[in-house]
Amino acid sequence: MSKEMKFLVVDDFSTMRRIIKNLLNDLGYQNVAEADDGKNALPILQAGGIDFLITDWNMPGMAGLDLLKAVRADARLAKLPVLMLTAEAKREQIVEAAAAGVNGYVIKPFTAETLKEKLQKILGATA
Amino acid sequence: MSPPLLKLKYGARVRALAEALERDERETFETVLDDILQSHKPQVVSQLSDLTCNLQLALDRFRLDSRLSDLAEKDIPDARQRLAHVLKMTDEAAHKTLDLVEQSAQPADRTARSAVALGQTWSQFRTNRIGVGEFCTLLEQLDAFLPQVRQDAELIQRNLTEVLLTQGYQDLTGQIIRSVMMLVEELETILANLPQDLRHDSNAGFEPSEPGNTNGFGPAVPGICGGDVAAGQQDVDALLSGLGF
Repeated sequence: MSKEMKFLVVDDFSTMRRIIKNLLNDLGYQNVAEADDGKNALPILQAGGIDFLITDWNMPGMAGLDLLKAVRADARLAKLPVLMLTAEAKREQIVEAAAAGVNGYVIKPFTAETLKEKLQKILGATA
Repeated sequence: MSPPLLKLKYGARVRALAEALERDERETFETVLDDILQSHKPQVVSQLSDLTCNLQLALDRFRLDSRLSDLAEKDIPDARQRLAHVLKMTDEAAHKTLDLVEQSAQPADRTARSAVALGQTWSQFRTNRIGVGEFCTLLEQLDAFLPQVRQDAELIQRNLTEVLLTQGYQDLTGQIIRSVMMLVEELETILANLPQDLRHDSNAGFEPSEPGNTNGFGPAVPGICGGDVAAGQQDVDALLSGLGF
């Protein structure tokens, strides 16, 4: 996996975005963009250049699940790897996210090791 | 004494109706009867309208009473439990952060002290004021210092990553506080409208906000039934694995 790849981190809490960004930096990924909800993330994704999307679920404006559905519905973004990183832990939600085409699902609170493991698994599978 | 109202309103027509009946004058009878019914119709409509309005108010009151009862019996105690959980999470996060800082202070201090000791001998070496014995000591110091610095730096790095992750409490507690704020807002609206509702002069209903599946439910709180919730990441992985992930 290339360390040059560009991530988009979507979360309404700036602290969480900083945490994820720092962890990605620790893993060698320096190219990280941010958005605070799905509505602001979508134009960034549609502008192109994003290789990996990490999104929260529960956000005002546009929720993560709706963002995921919008990504999968867009022919240019349909194959974008998407990791859901969220406190939403109901089984029905996890199944719904899987049905909507999520590539990985991490529940908060999480560990650096879990994030690394899921990234590697998704990148390995989509490579 | 004034004549009774009913007599004033209907007396003449009822008499005419009775006379027409007595004389078997069908046409007159029906004309007078229609006249009586027509004059009574607006009252019936008005009474029906009042009845409908009262029924609507009663339904609104019932919904309001039922929502207030839900708030008092379930939502407020739940909110108290959610806030207690927030308090616990912030307390744990603060202590964990302080623990990690304290654990990092010792290796940082050790590195600094070793560097100072090494620096003195190194300075003598650089100014050619060092004997063979001191040079051997310098080499021993360096042999011990380098792996120790690496070990300490790795420990501090791990602790810093943990401190970073621990700040995630702000996101989780923030989501819980936000849900409690929505509840307080709903309660405020109900209480503000209550005097009007009690006077029965308002038919403005209200719709309690129900979190939808699309927008999420927020973090699970121990002790509050949140449905079928995954117990942890392993549980999520097992569920996804079962779905072919």
